[in-house]
Amino acid sequence: MVSGEAAGTGRPVAVSGFGAVCGLGWGVAPLWEALRAGRGAIGPFRRFDHTEHRTHLAAEAGEPPADFLRAFPERKRLSIADRFALFAAREAMAQAGLPAPLDGETEAGVWFGSSTGGMFESEEFFREFLRDRRRARISVLAAQQVNAPGDAVARHLGVTGPVRTLSSACASGALALGAALDAVRSGEVEVAVAGGADSLCQLTYAGFNALRSVDETPCRPFRACRAGMSFGEGAAVLVLEPLERVLARGGRPLAILAGAGASCDAHHMTAPDPSGTGAAAALEAALRDAGLPAEAIGFVNVHGTGTPLNDAAEFQALRRVFGERAVEIPLVATKALVGHLLGSSGALEAVVTILCLMYGELHPVPGGAAPDPELPVALVQEEPRPLDGAPAAVSTSLAFGGSNAALVFSRWVDRAA
Amino acid sequence: MSPDILLTGVGTVGAWGAGSDRLAQALAAGTALASEVDRAAGYHRPEGARLACLTPPGQLGEWLSPAESRRMSPPSKLAVAAARMAMRCAGLPGRDEAGTATVVATAFGPSTNTEGLLKQILNEGPEAASPSLFTESVANAPAAQIAIACKATGPSLTVCQREAGPLLALGSAAAELAAGRARRALAGSVDEMTPLLHALLDRFGALARGSSAGEEAARPFDRRRNGFLAGEGAGLVVLETAEGLRERGGRALARVLAWGSAFDPTAAVTNWGTGHQSLARHLLRTLGRAGLAPADVDLIVSGASGSREGDRLEARVLRAAWGDAPLPPVTAPKGVTGEYGGGLLGAAVLAAAGSPCGPTAGFAEPDPELGIVPHDGSGLPPPATVLVTSLAAGGAAAWVVLGRP
Repeated sequence: MVSGEAAGTGRPVAVSGFGAVCGLGWGVAPLWEALRAGRGAIGPFRRFDHTEHRTHLAAEAGEPPADFLRAFPERKRLSIADRFALFAAREAMAQAGLPAPLDGETEAGVWFGSSTGGMFESEEFFREFLRDRRRARISVLAAQQVNAPGDAVARHLGVTGPVRTLSSACASGALALGAALDAVRSGEVEVAVAGGADSLCQLTYAGFNALRSVDETPCRPFRACRAGMSFGEGAAVLVLEPLERVLARGGRPLAILAGAGASCDAHHMTAPDPSGTGAAAALEAALRDAGLPAEAIGFVNVHGTGTPLNDAAEFQALRRVFGERAVEIPLVATKALVGHLLGSSGALEAVVTILCLMYGELHPVPGGAAPDPELPVALVQEEPRPLDGAPAAVSTSLAFGGSNAALVFSRWVDRAA
Repeated sequence: MSPDILLTGVGTVGAWGAGSDRLAQALAAGTALASEVDRAAGYHRPEGARLACLTPPGQLGEWLSPAESRRMSPPSKLAVAAARMAMRCAGLPGRDEAGTATVVATAFGPSTNTEGLLKQILNEGPEAASPSLFTESVANAPAAQIAIACKATGPSLTVCQREAGPLLALGSAAAELAAGRARRALAGSVDEMTPLLHALLDRFGALARGSSAGEEAARPFDRRRNGFLAGEGAGLVVLETAEGLRERGGRALARVLAWGSAFDPTAAVTNWGTGHQSLARHLLRTLGRAGLAPADVDLIVSGASGSREGDRLEARVLRAAWGDAPLPPVTAPKGVTGEYGGGLLGAAVLAAAGSPCGPTAGFAEPDPELGIVPHDGSGLPPPATVLVTSLAAGGAAAWVVLGRP
C-alpha cells in the first residue's frame, strides 16, 4: 500500500522532480550540500559594476556547466534568467524521469514566476540605446519580457497546454506553484512544470537600496541586528503530477504539494501590514486547502528577508496561525544563505522545504547574531536540526505590494517499502 | 460543482475616454482612435510609426484623489480608475472588499517609471534612484494599488503573458471564484504606451506603417495589414458568484461560461507560430468545458490586431476549429482600440451584454488566405454565446466564453 501523508483536498498532487540554480551552484545537489553545512553564497559579485551602489554583496550564480548551453540553438538570445530557468527545468524533468521535450501526447503546462525577467539585458540595451540609437541591438531586448523565462521553458519542452507567468514580486514563484497545483488537481494537465527565475539587475539592486532595504552585510533574518535583505539570483522548477500517475509509471514522489493559499495585505505598496493579518490569511488558506490543522506543521520555511518590518510582521502572522507554538516551531530561513531570489524565491524555497522533508533535517543559518527579544522564534542556526516533528511544512512568500502566498508540503511515505 | 460566475460590472479607460459608454460609442462607430505619439525624445526612426491609441489627458479626475494621482504610476492610475468604474457599474461601493481577489494583466508593466528609474541609474548613478519611482515600477503595482484602494484582501495576482494576458486574467479570476477562494474578483488588464515603448515596438516591426496601400492604420484580417496600432488604457470587470450576487441583490451583465489557454511552442519569442491545429484543439476543449460546440457560438470577438502573422494564425485556428462549417460573425475591436490596455476585454463584455458591434475599423479588402470577412457593422441579434480570443506573440493563447446572465 502506498499513500501520501496529508495529501490535501482534491486529488493528491506529487512533486516528481525538481531543479535549481542559485548562488550555491547549478543543481539541487550543491544547493543541499551547502545548506546542510550552513554555508552561504552572499558575497562580492561581478554581474554588474556596483562600485557606485550603496551596498556591495549578492549571491551570484556562477557560470553554468560547460556543456549545458549546447542543447539550445538559440542560446545567444537567451537572457541569464532564461538560462537559469532552462537549467532548472531540465534538471527537474530528468529527475522526474520525463523526457525533455515531452512527447506530444502528454497534457502539460508551465506556470512561472518572475519579477524582472530579462531586465539585466534590458539595462544593457538601454545603456547603449541612450548612447547611440543606431548601434543598440534590438534583438537583445527580445528576452526582456517578464514572461520570457517561462515561455523559454515551455518552448524547450514542447508544451502545448496552458502557459502563464505571474509577476507579483516576491510571491510570484509561490503563486505560480499554487496555480499549477490547481491545474493538476482539476485534471487540466497531467504534468505541470512550475517555478520561477530572476537574475540580478541594477534596477532592483538600486531600487531596494534607495528604500534602504538592503543590508551591508549578509542578511540576518529575525536577528536583533537585522538591517535588510541580501540579493540573490537563480531559478527553481518543480514538476507536479497526480500522485497516481507518478506511481503508475514507476516514479518516486519527492513530496506531496498538499495545499496553497494566497491573500493581499491591501495595506501599503512597500510596508507589510504590521499586524500580520494578511500573511496569516494566506497561511490559513494554505492549511485549509491542505486539510491540515496548524499542529500538523513541523517547520516553517519563512519568507524571512531580514528587513526589520517584514520579519516583525511575519512573526505576528505566525503567532496568529500557530499561537503559543510560534516561539517553538522551527524556522528555516533560506534567504540568509542564498539571498532573496525575488520572483523565484518562493520556488527555490519550495525546493528547500522538500529537501528538508526528504532528509528529515532542517538546514541552519550562521549563528552568532543575537536574537531579537521582540521576535522570540526558534530559528535553526549553526547546526542542522533533525526534523522530529510532524512531516509537513509550510513555506511563505510575502511580497512588495502586499501579495502573500503560502505552500504546504508533506513528506512522501512509501508504506510498501 | 463549480458555481455560476457572473460578470456584474465593467470599467474602461483608454483612447475612447473614461467609461464603457464611451467605448461602446467608439466601437459602434468603428473608427480607429489613433493620435500622434510624442516623438520629441528622439527614440523613433524618422520613417517609423507615428500613431497610437492613447488615453486623452484629463480623464481620471473623477476617479482618483489628488494624492493618489501624485503617488501612482500611469498604469496604476488607469487601473484604479477602471476598477472604481467597474465597482460602480456593479452597484458596489468598492471600499471594503474583504476577501475579494484582484487579478490584473500587464504586458509591459509601469514603463514610465521603469524608464525614469533606468535613466537615473545609468545617467546620474545608482544613488540617484528614486524610491518612489521604484515602488511603482514593479509589474504588480496596479494590482496592489487596486487592492489598497478597494481594501481587497483576497489573492492578488499579476499576469504577464503579453497579448493573451487580459483573457488569462479573466480566467484566473474566474478560477479563484470557482475554487471558492473568493466570492468576488476584480479582473482585467492595464498598459501604458510610452514614446520609448512605442519606438521599440516599431523597431521590432510590430506596428502598422503608412505605405502605398494607405495611411498608418490597424487592418485586422485585411489583405493590406502590416502591423497593429499600439494602445493603452485599462479594462476591469467585477466577477461574482451567482450566490453572492443573489444575496446582495445586484444585476449581471453576462455569465462566464468557460475559459481556457494553450501555448504554441513553434512561435519565436517575438512572433506567432504555426501550431494552429493544436491551438484549435484547445479552443474546442475550452468550448467543451461549457458543453458547447462551435455551432453554438453566435459571435467571435477576436484579438486580431492587424498583425501580419498574428491575424494569419488567428484565422487558421478559427478555420481549423470550425472545419467546413461557416464561422459566426467575427469582430475585431483592436482596429478601434489598439493593442494592449483594456480595449479587448471591454469590447467583449459590451458585446456579451448586447451592445451593438460596429464595423471592424481598418478592414476593406479581404485576404483570400485568411478567409475571414469581419462583421460589417450591420445589426446583429443579441448573442447568446460570445467567444473571445487572444493569441500572443511568443506562443501563448487564451479564450473566454461569455453568455447571457
